[in-house]
Amino acid sequence: MITRKHLLAGFAASLLLSVSSAAMAQTTLRIFTGGQQRPDVMRKIADEYERRTPGIKVEVEVGGATSEQQQQYLNTVMASKDSALDVVLIDVIRPAQYAATGWAEPLDSFLGAEKDAVMARYLPAYREANIIGGKVIALPYFADAQFLYFRKDLLEKHGVQPPKTWEELKAGAEKIMKSEGNPNLSGFQTAGAPIEGTVCTYLVPMWGAGSGLTDAQGKLALGTEAARRPFQLWAELRAANVTPSNLAEIPTDRIRQNFQAGNLVFGMTWGYVWNRAQGDADSLVKDKVGVVPLPGFSANAAATCIGGWQVMVSAFSKNKAEAYKFVRYLSSPEVAKAQAIAASHLPVFAEVYTDPDVLKANPWFKDALPVVQTARSRPVSAAYPRVSEVIRTNMNAFLAGSKTGDAALADMNRDLSPLFR
Amino acid sequence: MARLSPLEASERRLGYLMLAPAAILLAVTALYPIASLIRESFSHNVLTEPWMARPWVGLENFAKAMGDPRFWESSRNTLLYVIFTVPGAVAVGLGLALLANQPFKVKWPVRLGLLLPWALPLVFAGLIFRWFFEYQQGLVNNALIFVGLSPVNWLTRETPAFIAICIAIIWKTSSFAALVLLAGLQTIPKSLYEAAEVDGASKWRQFVEITLPMLMPAIVVALIFRTITAIQTFDIPKAMTDGGPGKSNETLAMYIHSTTIDALDFGYGSTLAVLMFILSAVMTSFYLRHTRRDPSGGRH
Repeated sequence: MITRKHLLAGFAASLLLSVSSAAMAQTTLRIFTGGQQRPDVMRKIADEYERRTPGIKVEVEVGGATSEQQQQYLNTVMASKDSALDVVLIDVIRPAQYAATGWAEPLDSFLGAEKDAVMARYLPAYREANIIGGKVIALPYFADAQFLYFRKDLLEKHGVQPPKTWEELKAGAEKIMKSEGNPNLSGFQTAGAPIEGTVCTYLVPMWGAGSGLTDAQGKLALGTEAARRPFQLWAELRAANVTPSNLAEIPTDRIRQNFQAGNLVFGMTWGYVWNRAQGDADSLVKDKVGVVPLPGFSANAAATCIGGWQVMVSAFSKNKAEAYKFVRYLSSPEVAKAQAIAASHLPVFAEVYTDPDVLKANPWFKDALPVVQTARSRPVSAAYPRVSEVIRTNMNAFLAGSKTGDAALADMNRDLSPLFR
Repeated sequence: MARLSPLEASERRLGYLMLAPAAILLAVTALYPIASLIRESFSHNVLTEPWMARPWVGLENFAKAMGDPRFWESSRNTLLYVIFTVPGAVAVGLGLALLANQPFKVKWPVRLGLLLPWALPLVFAGLIFRWFFEYQQGLVNNALIFVGLSPVNWLTRETPAFIAICIAIIWKTSSFAALVLLAGLQTIPKSLYEAAEVDGASKWRQFVEITLPMLMPAIVVALIFRTITAIQTFDIPKAMTDGGPGKSNETLAMYIHSTTIDALDFGYGSTLAVLMFILSAVMTSFYLRHTRRDPSGGRH
């Protein structure tokens, strides 16, 4: 029979056990990453960090596939000041929001005297994206930009050169689609669903036509001819049947899936696609993939959207010092190289682009650095989620055919004006 | 009023004591959040503007909502979902309930079929139906092509997207209506049908004269529950089109979500939620008045 004494003894023993395991000092760091940012590669990097840093255990939490799905979740976690996450992977468009809300622990005090030297090593765009109001909000994990992916085999077969202009792209796609006669083959795809990537579907042709969303004074500038060019460009490609009629339901990763299934000639998408198209077991286009800078309205006048992911320490973490050390590791040239090889993630350090091992895995990286260096940023604003929502939903409505270009532009002007006062 | 005897007084104390857990639970999980929501709706609270603190702004947020086209559009869309999916779900649910009430030898397949859509999380239902209605990979377009019709851009055209979302909502919610109605059906005494049978009434007459009137209280309950959930329509359109194309199918609940969770504007988001609460209260009080006036639901 179990007596009270037995119970007490058991309780004391379990207490001792828990004390002794605490004495062995395990710090568990929890990092949040997105489903599309190769959590498998993050896990391997974390395994290596655990091996090198006794007493640290890293848990990888995987969130939604799209940037805004991840952010919706993170907003609920951070708004409730939850200490569950120590390190968070955030999109390049988010540091301003994290700085304003105070959700990111500024890293300046951890960096100390090293700050300028550490920050000087990153590509300038990423250094600037992560310093808000003089404070280091996050450190860059990997860079990204949009490129033109194409089917090398199909272009060669039909004597089409990789296009330098949108006009050439349209002609090339029409020629290939006509001769192939495959009803599932689509000429060109970019993100059209109401997701973050669709913001770039608007901005890239606008930048290419020579102006930005705002003027030199930071005022909204949608009255320009360039502001109408994206609508004209996508309408022309649609009219020529180069883009599919369901472009408005295509999110970023669907472009990759269609490309890998052999159903796409040209795709405007991000760096990660190379590794998946070359490496995935179900990819039908292995060794048939070409990557070049995006076309422009004239040759050598291309623009592209800057992307990329940053790691930050949560202001609510209970292990900030340990979290900072892990962030420094994640944002090191060594991890940049490992990611470049394992996931074709573009490095945030210029010297990694010319590393022989990196070039062996990604031959197209030799031309990628200038693209990343000239890629442009989406507007930097703490109200960015609203800015993004206005642009992506109007672009989506236009691509779906439920708004004309003029109506979409007028609505964008109406809804963005209060955000750029 | 006569003084209570000691026994009565102690019984009353016991009564309060036994009510306390439920009352406390209700206060903590329902009353306090509602009160803090209402307080928030009169304040400016944007998490990305911490330097603004949280000033009391009176009716400013409500005035903003009245002049906000997106509030009116999303409210209109919500009402459209109520108008189409509430009667739709109750009608389909009635059919399912009648089917499940048949004297089948093996009852579980019908009952399981009834319960499964109800047990499925809303987002899953939304994702499943998005896949059904997708342009290229969708089952619906495959079926259309199979019978020689051309495929439809279900999710990227305003009206087809609305229809597809309504179908998904009705499929998902009709099983709950069916469960409520099935319970009602089983309370109708068999003797009524036997008497009608003796009098030579047809099946249709029996349905109109016995089943429908006897079922009225259950139908009203199903309508009330369905209306409240329809006003809160969120998950299925969120998963299927995210309110698209554009924002043409956005509901009020989705606008509230976007305002609070995406834009971190808790003040204005709370105002929108209070307005939704009022809309919900008005619509259900309409039903409740109906039931109070005639609690027997037509029976005399």
